[in-house]
Amino acid sequence: MLRARLSGVSGLRHPLWMCGLRPFFLFAALSAVLLMLPWLGFLGHGLPLPAVPGGPFVWHGHELLFGFALAAMAGFLLTVVPEFAGGDEFTPTQVRRLAALWLLGRVAFWSSGVLGAGALAVSATAHLALLGGLAWLAAPRLWRDPRRKHLAFLWALAGLAVCIAGFYADALQGGHPARWLYAALGVFMMLIVVALSRVSMRIMNHAIEEAGIVGVEYRARPVRRNLAIFCIGFFTLAEFFLPGTRLSGWLALAAAAALFNLMNDWHIGRVLFRRRPLMLYGVYVFMATGYATMGLALVFETGAAGAGRHLLAVGALGLAIYAVMSIAGRAHCGQPFETRLWMPLGAALLAGAALVRALTAWPGADILTLWLVAGLLWVAAYGLFAWHMAPLFLAARTDGLHGCKGTAIP
Amino acid sequence: MSFLYRWFAGIPAYLWSGWGALASLFLLVAGWEAVSLAYGPLVLPDPAAAFDRLFALIDSGAAGTELALTARRAMTGLALAILVGSLLGLLAGLSLTASMLARPIVTVLLGTPPIAWLVLAMLWFGASDGTPIFTVFVACLPVIFIGALAGTRTLDHHLKDVATVFRLPWRMKLVDLYLPHVVSYLFPAWINALGNAWRVVVMAELLSSADGVGASLAVARSQLDMDAALAWIAAVVLTLLAVEYLLLEPIKREVERWRPVEHV
Repeated sequence: MLRARLSGVSGLRHPLWMCGLRPFFLFAALSAVLLMLPWLGFLGHGLPLPAVPGGPFVWHGHELLFGFALAAMAGFLLTVVPEFAGGDEFTPTQVRRLAALWLLGRVAFWSSGVLGAGALAVSATAHLALLGGLAWLAAPRLWRDPRRKHLAFLWALAGLAVCIAGFYADALQGGHPARWLYAALGVFMMLIVVALSRVSMRIMNHAIEEAGIVGVEYRARPVRRNLAIFCIGFFTLAEFFLPGTRLSGWLALAAAAALFNLMNDWHIGRVLFRRRPLMLYGVYVFMATGYATMGLALVFETGAAGAGRHLLAVGALGLAIYAVMSIAGRAHCGQPFETRLWMPLGAALLAGAALVRALTAWPGADILTLWLVAGLLWVAAYGLFAWHMAPLFLAARTDGLHGCKGTAIP
Repeated sequence: MSFLYRWFAGIPAYLWSGWGALASLFLLVAGWEAVSLAYGPLVLPDPAAAFDRLFALIDSGAAGTELALTARRAMTGLALAILVGSLLGLLAGLSLTASMLARPIVTVLLGTPPIAWLVLAMLWFGASDGTPIFTVFVACLPVIFIGALAGTRTLDHHLKDVATVFRLPWRMKLVDLYLPHVVSYLFPAWINALGNAWRVVVMAELLSSADGVGASLAVARSQLDMDAALAWIAAVVLTLLAVEYLLLEPIKREVERWRPVEHV
């Protein structure tokens, strides 16, 4: 069956290229699983990973941020930009070129330990070209919008481009490029706050309607959001220039408080406990606790900063991507909202993965076991997602429509 | 009953809305840390050192004793000012002549720096409790007086006429018409005065007393103990923040509930 779906995938008419999110969400789902398994093999049994500058930990961070998360972001932008800013959908040729750049980036980076600086340079070019291509496609439309209210996406692209350029500049000069990965995680957090504010308005108000609650309206107000973005940005800068200082710790605590403050928008009653609202709310819970953990670790000089960072990476980033991919992925492939149990189950597994990964900071904890358990939970969550969603990305739409057009989400 | 229910049901949301304030306070602490990083601990010790010292002071019981003493002085002065200022202000508001007469005097009182009153108080009361109490009293009096004056002067005459036409019983007039309006002016003035009292009492103690937070600050200064000075300042500010946001702000919201508020 899979072979039948994949036949003709090289042709422009294959459904995979119908909409930008199809190939990129597929890449994201598969890479979430395929990048974690070798990592667990390395942690558990010392199996070798591709040798890259900076070592295995840099490989892990680079691939999950600039492989997995970047693919999800590309799919998201290719789909929502025409929807938010108007204009035709992007063509299969454009989508395919960007997908090819993403794959080239994987191959080149993985082989950079063997092939040396040349492969690194190719990888840098591929990643930057992918971001540049996205900006090239998105910028004119976002700029044409008279109120220019979605420009934040462009700033996020620019921020990621700076992080990638810096990463490869450090790597090519033989430095330790991990600091750029931390900065990129900060940019992703800001991007999530921006993106979720757009997504959540629809999801929450639809859920309110669905639940038949009257007199309640959800509004993602810019005031609290901007404070949160400002604090996260400030912390990201401080962590980059003054790593490990108390100063960055206080700023992390400010970011945490600003994110808890952002949750005020969401406290509008029992609708919060419905499936999709709760998933999106969970993203903020993990983001806030992640920054709080990092802040406390930096202020009190304990070693829990890594746990906090993984609450951000696994809990906030992993869950946000999972939620957005499973909601938007179905809607833009012409399917109604998922009502089967695998979706909330996967979200719960991810939440479990984030908590278990954070528990490694507990004094006396069996770190290796916790690492492995957290990794397996992550693999299970995204495995479920890939199992249920990949066929959708490869199949033609069943509602007779073409392209990305969303189903009737209000 | 419904009032109590609404009150308690609102507590979690109110407390949760405090995160925004906390975020800006953390940014302030980060700024403090940045200055201390740039200029070194001799100019400004870092927040951790100050908080460490503060916890040590709390542990040893010194912070509690001194804060209680200072609070007693500030509250005595404030209570006197509230009593006298509110009464005089309300009375002055009833008569146009009296309010015209009072305006310039209030301006003079407001314009006189508290430190000038402090000098007088030191001459009159010496090193006794009277000095800080009197200074607080004089510093808070005009603020409260003006609030009370404005409260009575701005009463809506149409509403008063309506009340008269409908022959509202005097109790109803007082509780539903005069009181909410006047209190909505008085209460912010009292809160303003509280902040004033807390600042002035520390200053008065610093210059005139042998005990209290102000005196402890004076000791820290004479020993060039930056950590202790900042710890005491933090203690004073944190106490004020706690009283204002945990006690007064909720009451203020309840009192001003009838006003159309613009939500952020």
